[in-house]
Amino acid sequence: MTSLIGQKFVRGDGLEKVTGQARYTADLAFTGLLHAKFLYAERARARIVDIDITAARAMRGVHAVVTQADAPMVRYGMFVKDRTLFAHEVVRFEGEIVAAVAAETPEQAEAACAAIRVVYEDLDPILDVEEALKSSSPLVHPDWKSYQTQNGVERGPNDCGHMTSVKGDVEAGFAEADHILTETYQSDMAHAVPIEPHAVVAQWQGDKVTIWSTSQVPFPARAGVAETLQIPQSNVRLVVPHLGGGFGGKCDFHFEAHVALLARQARRPVRLVFTRREEFVATDKVRHASKIELTTGVKADGTITARRARILLNSGAYCGDALFTTEIGLMMVAGPYRVPNLHAEVHTVYTNRTPAGSVRAPGGPETCWAVEQHTDELARRVGLDPLEFRRRNLVQAGDTGQTGQRFISSSAKECLERAAEIAGWPGKDFAPGEALGIAVGWWFSLPASSGAYVKLNADGTGTIVTGAQENGSGSVMGLATLAAEELGMRPDQFSIVYQDTESGPFDLGSAGSQTTFNNGRAVIEAAGEVRTKLLRKAAEMLEAAEEDLELVDGAARVRGVPSKALPIASVAAASQTSSLLIGSGSGNPPSLPEHDLSGCGGRLGYSAFLAPSFFCHIARVRVDEETGTVSVPEVTAVHEFGRILNPLGAQGQVEGGVIQSIGMAVLEGSQYDGGRQLNPGLLGYKLITAADAPRVNVELLEDPVDHGGPHGAKAVGEPPVVGTAAAIGNAVAAAAGTRVRALPMTAERVWTALHEQEGELA
Amino acid sequence: MAMSSKQIVELNVNGIPHQLLVEPRKTLADVLRDDLGLTGTKLGCEHGVCGACTVLVDGRAIRACLMFAVQAQGPEITTVEGLASDGELDHIQKAFAENHGLQCGYCTPGMLMTAHAFLAENPEPTREQICEGMNGNLCRCTGYQNIIKSTAAAAKAAK
Repeated sequence: MTSLIGQKFVRGDGLEKVTGQARYTADLAFTGLLHAKFLYAERARARIVDIDITAARAMRGVHAVVTQADAPMVRYGMFVKDRTLFAHEVVRFEGEIVAAVAAETPEQAEAACAAIRVVYEDLDPILDVEEALKSSSPLVHPDWKSYQTQNGVERGPNDCGHMTSVKGDVEAGFAEADHILTETYQSDMAHAVPIEPHAVVAQWQGDKVTIWSTSQVPFPARAGVAETLQIPQSNVRLVVPHLGGGFGGKCDFHFEAHVALLARQARRPVRLVFTRREEFVATDKVRHASKIELTTGVKADGTITARRARILLNSGAYCGDALFTTEIGLMMVAGPYRVPNLHAEVHTVYTNRTPAGSVRAPGGPETCWAVEQHTDELARRVGLDPLEFRRRNLVQAGDTGQTGQRFISSSAKECLERAAEIAGWPGKDFAPGEALGIAVGWWFSLPASSGAYVKLNADGTGTIVTGAQENGSGSVMGLATLAAEELGMRPDQFSIVYQDTESGPFDLGSAGSQTTFNNGRAVIEAAGEVRTKLLRKAAEMLEAAEEDLELVDGAARVRGVPSKALPIASVAAASQTSSLLIGSGSGNPPSLPEHDLSGCGGRLGYSAFLAPSFFCHIARVRVDEETGTVSVPEVTAVHEFGRILNPLGAQGQVEGGVIQSIGMAVLEGSQYDGGRQLNPGLLGYKLITAADAPRVNVELLEDPVDHGGPHGAKAVGEPPVVGTAAAIGNAVAAAAGTRVRALPMTAERVWTALHEQEGELA
Repeated sequence: MAMSSKQIVELNVNGIPHQLLVEPRKTLADVLRDDLGLTGTKLGCEHGVCGACTVLVDGRAIRACLMFAVQAQGPEITTVEGLASDGELDHIQKAFAENHGLQCGYCTPGMLMTAHAFLAENPEPTREQICEGMNGNLCRCTGYQNIIKSTAAAAKAAK
């Protein structure tokens, strides 16, 4: 039988999704359902003088009103335990939840929120990251020293996590350089914007609560509920119905406990559904605004000798899961280049803004963009074509990365050459205002524990019970292929039970591009156990030796004697009266490659990249000099993903990532007036539409790894979003003859850059 | 809310006539979802940008979050639940399912309805026309590439 790996993929949930039968959290119906609304601070920084809920509680239709006074006084947070469920004494950003109401209609709940009287003493907000780091700055968290942290977190006042990456002797490296270039790049806060807004339903029975949530991470969300409500994890069941996208915005623990508290007080099921404005203001999970300073030394022949880097991330009011961004961003500063001497530092700065966290490829697009703009500027300085400059500096097999990790293999150059070929670098027949731009980068695969069960049913079908979470990418749907491959069956013969903490074993969730990488190994291990049992039973029934049997086309048969065979269904049926065909797997996570952290500080586990993958993106842009508008008629994206298990799925990830990244490049950014977002809606915060979206030329390369995902696979979900904005930036600079040093490169910014340049020339 | 503020609304949805008692301020999207249980119509922004709530009103693609139910009396309303007949997917549903034209699926019902209205007017569209025609529906997963392909495949299948 031919392998199923690499075959056309038809997703198992497609039918329910095209018929409207797929149920998402906000679609669920419950008897006696109440509706939740939150009361937000609507100010950036203030002391709470008084909260009076008396009037709200007395209103018709209102069944519960809760504040921090109704919740256990628990500070929580993945890296730094710096927040409470509801505002406690102070508010630190406009979307801080002060109170919550459950009522019979959403309108009654909203009216009751408006009737809660809160007296504030407003304080001057802390907004600028440089100012916040000065010793004279007031503190977003005056009690920061008393907060508990995960081991290894290094902090300072208004800095919830700082880290360094040190290699070689940076001063000696600069001394060897013929040119030294210093530049600063900035990016605005950006959002994940899944089309499905957050929703949560909670229902208690006795002391157990079931929570349906739009979570990407059911197990961490369950842990958050248990921690903040001070109840055992076994009393919390977290179920994710179909999930309408996440992109990191639905990672971490968010609003599940708030709704559970309301439901407990109301003694009725309660549902929360966010408006789009709440998605922007209150989701506490945005891509950090950043400031990235880079100084690099190069020799006249283009060889990079040293780099100094300083990254400031605007983390907003709380740390959340931001330190993923911090460390991964730090790992991006050298790019996939040989940088023999490096000194890089990163600070995660508290301000009175919406808290930031890990959004698809945290730390990736903004840092890659800055580094790759800088790379083109370095190439210009030494008079080299950007492609040739990269060719001379890219990492190769045998090189060591910024923390001393040795590259066993590197496809960086292959991606570069292939992309150049497809895109026709350096390009010709340009219309006015057109140019190509290039960017390269790298990403990692996240090793983590993850579990699954596989069982065969008496009719020869199979069931996969997994802890993994499907975000839409198809990664959970693809698990059936891996089980089928092990058992000589078809993927459509498997049903999948997923995203329910009561049924599947632990999994980290749809985060870090890890589902296929880790849960895929777990499913293969579980299917392998079933395979062993199946062969044993079949051997007994066929009166043959186990080692002579193979599983092909839904049958167990003697190798070379196709007539001596039994349908798997018969073996499975017979097993129901003896030993069941069930298996479990937890696919031992591979360890990080050896590396050297001497001289580095504050590191938390992303200090080397397991199964690193590489990519090259080339964008064609058109800059309208009259208006500054940038359009992107074509993008070429070449990615190496180890082994491609599901070409259609992988291509879909690249296409979606590229288009998201175009949005980040030219449209997407939050504008602020003090501590208030000015564009918290889809009219003011625009996404790329079908008419803006270029044709994406995708090519996927293979370089299977031994210690990686199933069959040598690497992570796929996040890398595609990392490089396109960088390539567009370089293309804009080439087309406009001037560089825009802030993301997004809006028409206004491009026009201003063009205008300033004219001014200079005049 | 007092009963008197509600009024009788007659809607014809997926070929079935309904008589409902609803508040006049209720949007068509909310009535479809809450009163008729047709949750295939999704709400993504409730300010008329994302297109997830698109339904057909006498064949025209309409954002159900921007229309009051009381305004929708008379015409034939079609939601995603009305596309398949006797369990058989229509050619557009089939095209999206077979061409990986969806990922999370949340924008899919709106995409399908827009594709219906668009293809009815443009049975043989170019790629550029498809991009323009599907321009009012946001998707965050696919980068539109497979949505464009699926729409083209549906046009081809209809021939």
